[in-house]
Amino acid sequence: MPIHEKSLIRKENLIRNEKLALEGVDVSGDWSTFIGTRVITDYNEALEGEIAALPGGEHIHRCWQCGSCTNSCTVNAINPEFNPRYWIYLIRLGLEEELLRDKDIIWQCVSCNKCTYACPRDVVPEGVMKATAHWLELKGHTRPSSSTIFDEEFSGQVFAKGKIEEGRLMRKFFARTGQKLAQPWLVAIIRGLVARMPAGLLTRLGLAALIHPRTRDWGRTRDAINEYVIDQHARQRRALGLAVTPTERHG
Amino acid sequence: MSAPVLVVGGGPAGLSAAHALASTGQRVLLVDKADRLGGAPILSGYAKLVPSGEWARDAIGGMVRRVQPHPLIEVFTETRVTQFSGEPGAFEGVLSNGQTHKVGAAILCTGFTHFDSNNKPEWGFGTYPDVVTTTQVEQMFSSGKGVRCPSDGREPERVAILLCVGSRDRQIGREWCSKICCTVSANIAMEIREALPKCSVYIYYMDIRTFGLYEDKYYWQSQEEFRVKYIKARIAEVTSDGHRLIVKGEDTLVKRPITIPFDMVVHAIGMDPNVDNRALAPLFGVELERHGFLLKGPSYSAMGSTTRPGVYVAGAATGPETIDDSIAQGQAAAMAAIAGLRMPVTALAG
Repeated sequence: MPIHEKSLIRKENLIRNEKLALEGVDVSGDWSTFIGTRVITDYNEALEGEIAALPGGEHIHRCWQCGSCTNSCTVNAINPEFNPRYWIYLIRLGLEEELLRDKDIIWQCVSCNKCTYACPRDVVPEGVMKATAHWLELKGHTRPSSSTIFDEEFSGQVFAKGKIEEGRLMRKFFARTGQKLAQPWLVAIIRGLVARMPAGLLTRLGLAALIHPRTRDWGRTRDAINEYVIDQHARQRRALGLAVTPTERHG
Repeated sequence: MSAPVLVVGGGPAGLSAAHALASTGQRVLLVDKADRLGGAPILSGYAKLVPSGEWARDAIGGMVRRVQPHPLIEVFTETRVTQFSGEPGAFEGVLSNGQTHKVGAAILCTGFTHFDSNNKPEWGFGTYPDVVTTTQVEQMFSSGKGVRCPSDGREPERVAILLCVGSRDRQIGREWCSKICCTVSANIAMEIREALPKCSVYIYYMDIRTFGLYEDKYYWQSQEEFRVKYIKARIAEVTSDGHRLIVKGEDTLVKRPITIPFDMVVHAIGMDPNVDNRALAPLFGVELERHGFLLKGPSYSAMGSTTRPGVYVAGAATGPETIDDSIAQGQAAAMAAIAGLRMPVTALAG
């Protein structure tokens, strides 16, 4: 494949002057078209370490670019732009700008883990994708994804109470992601529950939604989890060179 | 007892052959053009050897100390063979010291010559002092001085190792793979990372050939434990911005040109045929193969044969070779020489 292949030319690298004369020769329009350089002039040696500091990214340095991950990828089969092998390479060499071009694709990993089983070097590319999406969020390049928000609400309730209350989880999740609570499918489920559920159970469900019960003797466990989570968040932010912000304590 | 066996060259193969012969009671004349025994690992000041990790001066030095005082081995340093004639079992060799010796057989352990990086001027060797060879880095370690930029003695923060310098290159008539440079480079990269943890090491490669058991011990370990980075690019040229070296090439995985600054560039130099081979071949009446190494006979009937009966060959004289295999071939050639001396050549030929 020649390096001047058309697909490698980016719009922003095309230079064209509507009116230009060079040494008295009119080269206006297409005659003055130039393609700007694509030269890589340095490596950012911190990037690999940043991804490796996030859960899932630990083994990224093992990659030798065989392409097994991309070849086995469920998402790549639908979207050829989704290329874990390539992103791993960009991260390892610290080609951050190039990585950011794909920031709106990377989160599309469906965690099928086919790559995990195909990888001859145990890089765990699925984990790397997760870490990379996480990195993009922490660095502010992408907004927290719906699944991140769901995870936060879900684990936040577990940390605080030792159990979750589905109604509250759904309300919070829909509110934070800007979705209507009155989803037709949800309404149908609730109607069905009300119609079919024994009155005793229904009452307990209703009470739980109001009182938010917690697991018995949860306090010490909650404190230990909080301590660990706060510690992990601080460690991750430090590894990414970000200011350590106070983490919300649950409970 | 039969006439002695002439061993030419006192590197790993020659030392091994001489010791093996003497162990069976066979007298040996060991001739080396250098002022001491040991061959490339000693003369070029190698540091820790692959794959043992032992210092060359201990490992190969130990082989020298075993051979030097042996009562059945007569050592001639700073000596060359000037004439060689006769038949298997009854050769006559004339040495540069004027002596004539009757020998039953000869084993050529004449080794190789390091590629001279001046023959690839586009990669900056000889132009920029901070462009060095793997041999020079070995010497930095073996001398105890450590890896420093020759220009000003500073510790490098970023080192590039260029593979296949003087190998796999039709432009300079070297169409062979030198076999050991990938492994040696991975080893050097790990040694640099160990000695200078703040220094990043990048290896620019066309293919990685850390064959056999060197795969995980060198290639994988250098990546996984020592975070050495491998980049698939054959470098076009090494220049300078006046302060640092600039390595230019194409990163074939991102299909983009690169111009990356480095403090030090290391050429992983290959193994050339011994520069003396053009003279050695007619002197001993043996043929060279197409690249200029000594031509081996078929291995299936007798290891270490050349195109002339009674003259054997071992080690890197026949092509790029590892130290361990050179030692094994030295013993194999010794065995073949003894067999040849004790059995009529016609019987072997049948």
